[in-house]
Amino acid sequence: MSADQLLVVEDLSTTFATPRGPLPAVGNVSFTLDKNETLGIVGESGSGKTVLARTIMGLQPRMNVTVTGSALLNGRQMVGASEEEKRSVWGTEVAMVFQDPMTSLNPVMRIGKQIDETLRVRLGMDNRAARDRAIELLEMVGIPSPAHRYRAFPGQLSGGMRQRVVIATALACSPQLLMADEPTTGLDVTIQAQILNLLDDLKERLHMSVVLITHDLGVVATRTSRIVVMYAGRIVEIGSTRDVFHHHRMPYTRALLESSPKVTSPSHTRLTTIPGRPPNLMELPAGCSFAPRCAHATARCASERPELVAADNPGHAYACWNPLPVRRHQHLEAS
Amino acid sequence: MSDQIIEQAMLRPAPEKGKSLGPLFWTCVGWLALNVLAAIFANVLPLHDPLFGDFNAINAGPSMHHLFGTDDLGRDIFSRVVYGSRISIAVGVGSIVIGFAVGAPLGMLAAYRRGRFDSILTNFMYILLAFPAIVAVIAVLSFWTPRSMFKIIVVIGLASIPIVYRVIRTATLAVASKDYVVAAKVQGATDRRIMMKELLPNIAPIGISFVLIGIATVVTLEGALAFLGLSVNPPTPSWGNMINEARTVLGQNNGLVFFPSLFLCLFLLCLNFIGDRLRSHYDVTEVKL
Repeated sequence: MSADQLLVVEDLSTTFATPRGPLPAVGNVSFTLDKNETLGIVGESGSGKTVLARTIMGLQPRMNVTVTGSALLNGRQMVGASEEEKRSVWGTEVAMVFQDPMTSLNPVMRIGKQIDETLRVRLGMDNRAARDRAIELLEMVGIPSPAHRYRAFPGQLSGGMRQRVVIATALACSPQLLMADEPTTGLDVTIQAQILNLLDDLKERLHMSVVLITHDLGVVATRTSRIVVMYAGRIVEIGSTRDVFHHHRMPYTRALLESSPKVTSPSHTRLTTIPGRPPNLMELPAGCSFAPRCAHATARCASERPELVAADNPGHAYACWNPLPVRRHQHLEAS
Repeated sequence: MSDQIIEQAMLRPAPEKGKSLGPLFWTCVGWLALNVLAAIFANVLPLHDPLFGDFNAINAGPSMHHLFGTDDLGRDIFSRVVYGSRISIAVGVGSIVIGFAVGAPLGMLAAYRRGRFDSILTNFMYILLAFPAIVAVIAVLSFWTPRSMFKIIVVIGLASIPIVYRVIRTATLAVASKDYVVAAKVQGATDRRIMMKELLPNIAPIGISFVLIGIATVVTLEGALAFLGLSVNPPTPSWGNMINEARTVLGQNNGLVFFPSLFLCLFLLCLNFIGDRLRSHYDVTEVKL
């Protein structure tokens, strides 16, 4: 593990035991995250993005779940760590921003107190110092008149404001890694850009790394340096943002890209959809999980699972038997 | 400039400030306080002896001497209603305190920890719930003689534990799966802190409503037990056993059934109204415009 690697995930699998059999939500995922880097994880609903993030955090349910592999955060193993070990890492080394700002703040606690709480408990600040720091944090995330807002209840704030408060709470103990699990899904489109820009800006100022989980390729296009594409709990393509957008080899990645609207296409253009549905994780096909929906599928795809193979550019890899041809001048601009 | 105006306008309707609870609320509080104080200080108040039968005034109507009239043994109804409130209020509050002291922490712990502890405890409580509580209470009280107020409180209190447990566990389950609980956890909060700061304040409104409903239910339950002759032994009055005794002289003496029923009714109404008002007044989850 090199000095500038913050997170090293190797062969990580999460399997839930259900009454109807094992459910492999995340399978053999490996990737690394450097310091000050933003990594995007994209995929459809149910592709295992959230479970992956929660597994790395060590946030599995207490029962009926098996995690194998390793997730090293700052060299510390998160898989199988005890509650005390995890608690010492949570907040100070890794923090999380949740999808829905409507449910990620305690509705009966003043927003200032929710930030305070962490500062007092984790950093041992006294009431005054915690209060001042909380107001500072509220100001940093762009809350107008933070000293007044300190006393507001979450119900008095709009969705965008609440997400800013959630971010301020997450940043209270200056974590090195911020996990943002679809941080803009619950927000209006106009607010989405503000929140993403805020995250970007804070990342630069605080020298953090960010894992940005989303199903919206537009979100990751300009803000990440690398992208992981997930399908049915596995990585199907990984590479620099540029490679994934312009030199992707996996048909699923292309299908995802084509299904998002582009400014350059004429109006009333029908969006391409991916036929079929994401597979049932309990009955995964023996071969490539995407094969039943793939236009390029062959007999081999149905019987043999493709592993990640390296593409031309360093760090770019894909899992496909019939990769798309390398195209030098592809004009799929990020929307 | 306009920003400032908007800012001030937005900050003004803080839900806990400015708006009063209303005169009806304070009337209810006053009435309950009067009831409780009268019950506590009944023996120092200038009241007739509730057990003394004035045989010159049997089934008398209300008068200056007997405010609510007298019963079939010539006992003063007003003083019996006041003394009766001792038993009724003590049984109502006492057994709910027992029920909550045991049921609420267990319910919260089970819902937060889940796992084997939860499934064993919950199944056990559900088995208890399968028995009709009133039948169990009647059975126990029939054999546990001599009956006293203390025993009645204990029996009803124990019988209410599974009900309280179920309500609190369900309420906690709904809160414990919310993102803000997970968020507090990943900020490094301990289990104890999460239970006290995140879970408790959020289930408190449900808990308080249930306390009030519970007290009302137990006061009527005591009445039902008294009706069956299973509450405190006569001649000690309680609202319930007064109504029970009045049954036999219903035609001749309306006051005997009317006054204890009225006091029971008002007591329960006030409790419910206060609970409802408090809940909506301190609700900060909705913006009131």
